[in-house]
Formats: sequence, structure tokens, C-alpha cells
Amino acid sequence: MLRPPALLSSLCISALLALTIGASAAVPDKPGYNHDIRPILSDKCFYCHGPDEKKREAKLRLDVRDNALAEHDSGHAIVPGKPEESELLKRILSHDKDDVMPPPKAKKPPLTADEIATLRRWIEQGAVYEGHWAFLPLNSAPPPKVKNRAWVRNPIDQYILARLESEGIQPSPEADRPTLIRRLYLDLLGLLPSPEEVAAFVADPAPNAYEKLVDRTLANFHYGERWGRHWLDQARYADSNGYSIDSARAMWPYRDWVIKALNDDMPFDQFTIEQLGGDLLPHPTKSQLIATAFHRNTMINEEGGTKPEQFRVESAIDRVNTTGSVWLGLTVGCAQCHSHKFDPISQREFYQFLAFFNQGEDVNAKGATIQVAKGEVFGHPVKPTTAEIQSIKFPKKTPTQEQWERKELARLEALPPDKAPTELLLSLKIVDSTRDEGQKKLVNEAYAKAYPKAAKTGKKVDVNADVVDLMIMQDLDKPRPNYLLIRGDYTRPDEKGGPLQPGVLSAVSAAFHEAPREYRNRLDLARWLVDPQNPLTPRVTMNRVWMRYFGRGIVETEEDFGTQGTEPTHPELLDWLAREFIHQGWSLKKMHRLIVTSATYRQSSNAHPDLAEKDPRNLLLARQERVRVEAEIVRDAALSASGMLDGTIGGPSVHPPQPDGVYSFTQTGKVWKADTDGNRFRRGLYAQFYRSAPYPLLTTFDEPNFSNACTRRARSNTPLQALNVANDPAFLEMAEGLAQRVQREVPGEDTDARLRYAFLLCFSRDPSPKELSILRGYAAKGNDLAALARVLFNTDNFITRE
Amino acid sequence: MNPHDLQLRDITRRHFFGKCALGVGALALQQLLAESGWAAPGGPVIDPMHPLAPRPPQFAPKAKRVIYLFMAGGPSQLDLFDYKPKLLEFQGQAPPPSLMAGKRFAFLKGNEKLLASPRKFEAYGQCGMTISEVLPYHRQIVDEVCWLRGLSTDVFNHAPAKLFMNTGFQAPGRPAMGAWTTYGLGSQSRDLPGFVVLQSGPRGPRGGSALWSSGFLPTSYQGVPFRGKGDPILYLHSPEGQTRERERDFYDTVGALNHTRLDDTGDPEIMTRINSYEMAFRMQTSAPELMDLSQEKPETLELYGVKPGESSFAANCLLARRLAERGVRFVQLYHTNWDSHGGPGENLNGDFEKVCKEVDQASAALVLDLKQRGLLEDTLVIWGGEFGRTPMGENRASIGRDHHVDAFTLWLAGGGVKPGLIYGQTDELGFGVVENKVHVHDLHATILHLLGFDHEKLTYRFQGRDFRLTDVHGQVVKEIFA
Repeated sequence: MLRPPALLSSLCISALLALTIGASAAVPDKPGYNHDIRPILSDKCFYCHGPDEKKREAKLRLDVRDNALAEHDSGHAIVPGKPEESELLKRILSHDKDDVMPPPKAKKPPLTADEIATLRRWIEQGAVYEGHWAFLPLNSAPPPKVKNRAWVRNPIDQYILARLESEGIQPSPEADRPTLIRRLYLDLLGLLPSPEEVAAFVADPAPNAYEKLVDRTLANFHYGERWGRHWLDQARYADSNGYSIDSARAMWPYRDWVIKALNDDMPFDQFTIEQLGGDLLPHPTKSQLIATAFHRNTMINEEGGTKPEQFRVESAIDRVNTTGSVWLGLTVGCAQCHSHKFDPISQREFYQFLAFFNQGEDVNAKGATIQVAKGEVFGHPVKPTTAEIQSIKFPKKTPTQEQWERKELARLEALPPDKAPTELLLSLKIVDSTRDEGQKKLVNEAYAKAYPKAAKTGKKVDVNADVVDLMIMQDLDKPRPNYLLIRGDYTRPDEKGGPLQPGVLSAVSAAFHEAPREYRNRLDLARWLVDPQNPLTPRVTMNRVWMRYFGRGIVETEEDFGTQGTEPTHPELLDWLAREFIHQGWSLKKMHRLIVTSATYRQSSNAHPDLAEKDPRNLLLARQERVRVEAEIVRDAALSASGMLDGTIGGPSVHPPQPDGVYSFTQTGKVWKADTDGNRFRRGLYAQFYRSAPYPLLTTFDEPNFSNACTRRARSNTPLQALNVANDPAFLEMAEGLAQRVQREVPGEDTDARLRYAFLLCFSRDPSPKELSILRGYAAKGNDLAALARVLFNTDNFITRE
Repeated sequence: MNPHDLQLRDITRRHFFGKCALGVGALALQQLLAESGWAAPGGPVIDPMHPLAPRPPQFAPKAKRVIYLFMAGGPSQLDLFDYKPKLLEFQGQAPPPSLMAGKRFAFLKGNEKLLASPRKFEAYGQCGMTISEVLPYHRQIVDEVCWLRGLSTDVFNHAPAKLFMNTGFQAPGRPAMGAWTTYGLGSQSRDLPGFVVLQSGPRGPRGGSALWSSGFLPTSYQGVPFRGKGDPILYLHSPEGQTRERERDFYDTVGALNHTRLDDTGDPEIMTRINSYEMAFRMQTSAPELMDLSQEKPETLELYGVKPGESSFAANCLLARRLAERGVRFVQLYHTNWDSHGGPGENLNGDFEKVCKEVDQASAALVLDLKQRGLLEDTLVIWGGEFGRTPMGENRASIGRDHHVDAFTLWLAGGGVKPGLIYGQTDELGFGVVENKVHVHDLHATILHLLGFDHEKLTYRFQGRDFRLTDVHGQVVKEIFA
């Protein structure tokens, strides 16, 4: 649908072609409800004539055909086949300010001439309604036929190419091998390939060289970290309680569980069930209990004078909203205070959904916990899978400071009063978080004296101990009555309306042939979410996977599959991916393999002039997309280029170097002692994450503070990012490391060879003659290799996946 | 970015790249987009390569910039501005049950007694505003200020209440007022961020970075904290020993490589990156120049009470004026600790006097200094906390007051508000507002109006909904306009 908007056709067609994709304009011959009509009605009419019964005027709803056709006070809103008799059109065309729709008080612009003509034609043709696409069962049509069959590598390409052919657009050529391997490493691992990996792949004569590379990369354990981080965003994982006090908490065993589950390619249905209802499974394993920490990533308000019930309800509501957005791609939260204005979710349904999460025994506090030891989640030490990955280290057992403190307190208390060191004894009696600075120092020093090695790692906070108490889900034995809350206010339960039993969303269940009658708890909810009849979970999940590879989902508003969201650019492809996902036993790795081995994925990302005119936003994917990497990966890339990366997997969070003063803007100061051992060079996802003041690099590169689920990060481009990479001592340290690596690996005095090698480490390719001459010019001015490495880190190319 | 922004980005980028034969300028493009209905409904038209470029509001503004002096912790209006002689009469008695019905407090246990202010109050200026003895410098600005004595909020814990005051919502995740402002207006400064945050007092404000977050708006609109010590902006300084000239070489080399890549890939995002690096280079000079108060005359330092080399609220007020002069759109100062519960460090006696002393002189000086430089007329100054304090005392180590959401005082100056106006009246005991109540949402609507925006029309589409600072509330308080 490449149609210029009629309004502006006289101005400059070429300038405005950019506007047309995704915009509705002109008047279709056969307007479809989903494609043409609902966007108009949703935008202009549903607010007062839609699903929200509280806002509904004149008892008319236009989102339901029976009601729209029924007789109302002023007649029939829609009379199929007879636009002249339809009150809807009369009102839209009216010049009387008391009659015209939308009414002036709605502050909506009037309908355009095209929109009116579209409505008219649709009514003429019988006013046929369709269900909203996202709520319909998965379409099972076979992949379309294409002319250029040689280009197709798997069915994904048929969907993409069929559309391109219909628009007369050629796909882009395949990217060269250096680009492919760097792309694949960044997408699947979030690291850069070593020069040896690049050379081996570039020289591999096997016809399936690329597929072999894909398999090797998918088997690399860094895959679980890279894709685990995407999931942790959705789980709003953080290492602190949030709000103002924002103390550290030990959630890292859950983070490790995610990494492990993804590396094991745990089927997504099981992955879902364990996280949402693992504790309710018969005889749950420890791992299944750890998984339920997913919904313990909600915040705890430790501020004095808070009403625990208020924040308990906040958490329960957050669990509803998170579940809705992560699995269903729906803005369920809108129905907290009133029935959803655009989607068929009533306020009552919201509170039925809340009933699943309203039984937690955690009340703005730690609640149920389970002891987990470092490395326990992984079961056994993990061996690296490629030569290039550095060793995995599991630190040896020493008593944690917390354990030592307990013992030491007992020992000192046993001593006669005059023999015990009074100050230390007093300090040990106070819990860690309430000690003053002097007391903390005293205790830490005593521990350091007893266990110098353990203390040196800087892990003094108990949450970073080798054994921690992980918060997990547990429901009350005796359920709380679950009421609708008027206006979402926890002090206003609608007791008259009676308690509400747990229930799922009827709009989604409508796609089921057969749905259970009763839903008792979170486990039932989880099973409903991953029931193969549920059309949303696989669509939403596959759409997000696609988004990571192409910079944009097939449904661009990946967080909103409701009627206000954007329509899929390739609806049949999305449904095919969703079906295939279920068909492949919910295996994410199989789906990754499918996508990254497609010809679509393997295209070059370079712009070409033809496309600038026909599809400037690249919605049709006649090329790959250049995408700036996420915050953690900016640092991970520099770590892997410099060869300084410590590939240790999992464990307590770490403290890379951070400048003083980060906490001058937080209520409570935090202790941040930069690690001096290997932990200094661990991947970004392991950096201790305080919600009130995250590691600066992460915030600067758009990592949110994880108060809520984040399904898609922003990608900004700001001067603060420039300052961060250019001047952060951590990056200078890595630049120095890269320089040393180059000197080590390219002995001799050949400057050009060293420049090329440094370039190769960063970009997995040789410099162009122009690039090389720029680098030579810089080196000729007396800049050393570290200065040069600093230049390379700061290029757009370095932080971009091409 | 939402799809709408992305579409706009593509259109405007193509435009600026000259790949369009039209050859129209930026203004013409804006008009083109507006006519075609592509200017965001309610949102400004933003050039994605210069997201902070200044842009006009929806109608003629009264204020072009904002300086917000945030009194973190909740200053006691009953000991500063809202004189209640009746409290003395009922001193030590239980509050009337009719006033207590349905009320919630953070810490009160229910047996607390009414507490009169021990401070002396007097009426000053032509407007006759009563101010207590602890704010002597405020007497100088009494007729410059518009006094809102009937503020009310919804939330009684610090972090949620601060979030509510800044973002209109009590949980983190929404854009702050400063972010909405720079989203709407861009900034007049090419060399500094559009929204700057400064902090003074014993600790940072509860709520942390969520208070100046851009929420779902692009990060370009996020508040940038300037620190009082070390680099004002994190990582501002070039590596040690690097001369300015050599640093220019560094930026030129990065720029040359970026241009090469731009030629090879044709990705306009690279141009944005090149512009970001150029602004970073400029900020390296402009930020230290900004922080260097030695350029100020001694009488100015004296007016504010700035001690050279010492970071303080006073120094921050002076910096706020310097930021305003340099075109920065929204400056927010946080000062702690106003949380006068009566505990150690938080009593209503010496501790309270100390925090009053820390802010009194400089707050007044800022208004006077802006006025004398002709900046006050289009700079809106806001002074206030996240809530007020109770008419009942709270029994801790000493007597203090608990958080109170129903009635408190906040003042505005400059930027189109009526000077010397006292707006809002509380009941005899200071429990509630009996006349001209201004809810936080109303305050937001009013501030946006002064900046030239209909608060219902400055929106951003996110997750299928058009969000705004005032959510679905807010009434503009026109009565306070000059």
C-alpha cells in the first residue's frame, strides 16, 4: 500500500512518499474492517462509543456490530448497505455543533474527506466487522509463491520476497563474511569475534560455512547471557529494592537461572510455567522455585512510614501489568482504574486477573526466600565452547562475610565482658544496613584480617555472599478476598461487588476451541498463556525475537497488540513464525537458527537510493538494518576487542570502575568499591544494578531503571554518550588493553600492520584505503596505539551492528 | 521512539539530507508536516538530528524557561508561611475528629496533639503576606512572589510524592516536567543540556534519577545532573595530559572515520552521531565555564551568600541563573533535608533553622538578581516541596510534624504570574484548603500554560495511549496570571 496522501499530492510526491507507508490515505475499493475502518473508529469514536461502559454515551458502541446496527434514541448508527440512512455518517457530516461527531468537546479533529468516503463505502458494502487481528487464531495459510526462487533460503524469505516483488523492489545482496560474523556475534552473543574466528569463517570453503558458524555460536554459553539480558529487561530484574532507600538485594540466582534455561534451550512453554507457577507444580525442584523469582523483581518501599498494604497492592498490580505486556503484548494496566477504552478488557477482568497475583504472602517485604549458593544454578562448572572464550572461574569456598559475622558474634559473646572488644561486638550486633560508616569499617576490617583474599574481592555486602536468600513466590494458605478497587485505589475495595475469582481475558480466550472453565492459580494462568490455542503468546514472543534482529518488530508497537497498536507489516509471516515456534516445541534456539540463516537476515544493511524513495523506513526489509547495540554491549564489545573480558558466568553482581559522586544524587549513599580482580572485566549484565542510580554507562545508553517491565529499549544518540566512551577511565583502560594486545600479537615495528590489526579487532574487517589513511594520519601526529584504540571505540561503527 | 517519531525521523532526515528535490527549509518542512497531519497530534515537530533545537510552543508563552527550587522532604508551611494563631489556642489538644475522619498519615499513631508554631510571624510588603522569622530574606521578595497557600497532593511518602510532583504519577517511569518542557520547546543552548539538575544538602533526594527521568520520552530530554564537585558532568574531562589541540585531533579523526562510514553505508544515524560528538566537544568548554563563579562580581556572590570554592544551595542558585542566561530551558535544584519529624537531625528547632538559613538568602537573591537582569519576566521560578506538614506534632526525640498532603504552600515568581498575590486559604487549623485549592495536576497544567502549551495537547503516544504530564486531570489556574 504505497499510496501518496491525496491532500498533499500537489506538493511533492517524491518528498512525501516517505509518509505513505503505514499511513492510511485515499479510499480503498473494498475497505476492510481491521485495516481501514477500525483505525478510524478507534481513533475518533471508541473513546465514547467503545468498550468502556463508564465513558459510553447514548449506550452506543461502535466496536460491536450488533450494537452499532441496533436502534438507538436517534436511530440506527449503521444501516448496512444504506449509508444515507446511517446516523453515523449523518452525524459526522453534520454542521450543527450539537449534533456533529466527534463533538467539539472531544477535542478530536474532524474526519478527513477520505476517511468519510472510506466509511461510506464500507457501509455500502454491508458494514462487515472482523475480529481484531491479534485476537484471531493463528492463520495457517502456506507461504506465498515467489518468482525469484533462487533467493529463498527458508519460508521466511518467501514472505519477505513476495511482498518486495509485489512492490517491485529488489532485495539487497548478501553481506560480506566479515560483516556477517560480526553481526551474528553481536546478535547472538553480544561480543566481537576474535581475528582467528573471523579468518576461519572467511576462509571456510564449505557450502554450509555460515550454518556451521551459526550452530557454533548458538552453542556458545555467552548466548544465554545475551538473550538472558533481553529477558531480564522484561523481568524488570535489578539488584536493589527500588524507591528511595533502594538497598541492595540478592536476585542474581534468578539471573543465573535465566542464563542457564536459555543456554539449555528450555522450551518456552516450560520456561513460562516455571517462572509464573513453578512453586505450584507438584513437588517443585529447587530450580523451579528459583524461577518464580521472576515476579519477585517488584520493588519494595523501605521508606519509613509507608503503608505496607499499599505497596503490596502496587506489586500485585505490577505483576498483572508485567504478565500482560510480556506474554500478551497488551496494555492491561489501562483497566486498573476503568475498563479499557480501546481494547476489550473490562475493569472487572483486570481484577480477576489480579486475583492470580493477589495471594502472595510477601507484603512490601522479603517474604518467602530460598537459600541458593553461587554456581548452584549451573549445577557444574561450564566449559567454554570456543577457543576464544576465556576460562570460566568458579571461586573457591570461603566463608562469606555474613557467615563469618554470625560466627564471630557468637565467639565474642562467649568471651568474658572485659575480654571482648566492645566496639566490634556492638557493631556486629547491629544489622549491616543500619551500621554507621565507622561501624561498617570496623567490621569489614576485621573480616579482611581473618580472610584477606575473600575480602579483597570487595564483596562485603551480604547480598553478594556465596550463599544468599533469594526471594521467591509463595501464596497464602488462606486466600485474601480479592475485590475490584474503585479507581484503582487500594483503600477503596468494591465490597458491594463481591470478591472476584481468578480469571483470564475473555477477548483472548475467544480464540480457543476449548478453554478450561476454571482457573485457580498462577499455574493455571501460565498454562493458559502457553496453550497452543493462545494466539498472543507465540505472536508476541516471536515478534520480539524478530525485533532484536531487524531493529523493529513485524508489529512495530511490540508492547501493544491491541487496537491502538500498529498493524503487522507481514501478518502472514508473523503467524507462520508463531506456528513454527509451537511446532518446534517452543524451542527458541531453533527459531533463532531459522531467522539468522534466512536470506532476509543475511542481506547487507547499506542503504540504496532506490529504497530511499520506495521504502525509506525499510519496513519491507529489502535490506538489513544498522542498529546501535545496547548499553551493556557497548562495554562488552570493548572488553572483547581488548581481550580483557573475564568470561566468568553468573554469580553475585560485580563492580566495574565507576567515578565518585554517582550517589551524590541518591537518598542513601551506596558503597561502590571497584573490583580489582577479574570481576572488573566481567560483562555489563553482571554490574550491580541500583535502581536509584544505575551504573552511569547503562543509563547514558538508554537502559531504563527497571521499575517496570521493559520490552523495548530506546536507542538515543546523545553528547553524554560521546563523553562516556571518550573519557571514562574504564574505556581508557580498555583502549590501553587493546594497544597492549596489538603489541603482543603483532610484534615488530610495522605500524600499518598494527593499525590493521587494531581495526580488525574492532570491526572484524580490513580498513578501506580511506580509513587506513585517516588512521595513518592520526598515528603520524605522534598518537600511540592506545590513543588510536580510543578513536576506534568512539566511532559509530564500533557501537553499531551493521 | 514510537513509530510516529520514527516516521518523522525518516521524513526529516531525508529532508535534511537533500535527497528531496523540494529544497524547502526547516520551517517549511514543519509546515508541510503540520498540514499533512504528520506533526504529532499534540506533539512538537522534532528534527531528530537536533532533538534539542529550539521550537515554538503552541501559543505565545509567558515563560521561556523554568528554575525549580525543590525543597526536598516537605517544608513545614505552618512554621514558614501559613500562620495559624488558632493552633496556639488549641495547643496540646486533640484535633477535632471531624477533621481527622478518613485521613491517612505516614507516621502518626492517632494520639498526637495540635502543635502551634513557636515562630514569630509578621505581615510584610504591600500584599501583606505573613512570613515567619526564620526566613528574613524572603521579606525582600514578598511583593515579587505569587504565594500559593492552597496546594494539595495525593501522596504522603517521600519518593512517590516527589515523583508525583515531578511527573504527575506516583510510581517511577513517567517523564518529569523538565523532560516534557524540553520535549515541547527544545533548548536555546547549543552547548549545554536542555534540562539540568543540581543538588545540595546532606544527601540526595528520595526517588533518585526517576525524578528527572525522561520516562518514555527519548533520552535527549532527560535531566542531566551537574555535580558540585569534580567534573560537573560525568566524564566531561579529556584524559589527563591531553591538550585541547590534540583533543581536537581526536574528535576530527573520529569525525573523519564516521563520515567515511556514512558515505559507505548511507545511514543518516551516523550524521546524528557526528553532531553528538561535536556538542560533546563544545560542552567540554561550556560546562567548566559555566561552573566558574570567579567571573561573578563580589557583590553578586555576596547577594547570594556564595562562599567561593564551596558547593552549596547558594552556589547552585547562582549557577541556575548562569544556566538560564545561557539558554538552558529547565533547571532544577534539589535541597535536602526538610523532613522535620522531630528525630535526630530533623527537629523543628535548630535543624529546621539550619535548613532555612541554607536556602533563605539565595532563594531571595535569585529572584532579585533575575529581576535586575531583566530575566525574571520570562523565567518562572518555583519554590516548594513534595507535601506539607501536619498541624499535629509528632513525638520523636523532640517534637516535629508528620507529612501532610491536604494543604501546603508553594511559591512562584516571574514568568507571567501575578507578583504579590496570595492565592488560597486554609482552615483555621491548617488542615485543609477552604478557598482556591491548587492540586498538583493543576499546578502542572498552569506551568505548561505559562510555557505556551495546552496541557491536554502536549502529548506523547506510548503503548497505544497519548500520555501527558497531567494524565487525565488538571485545571489551569488563570487567576494567578499577571
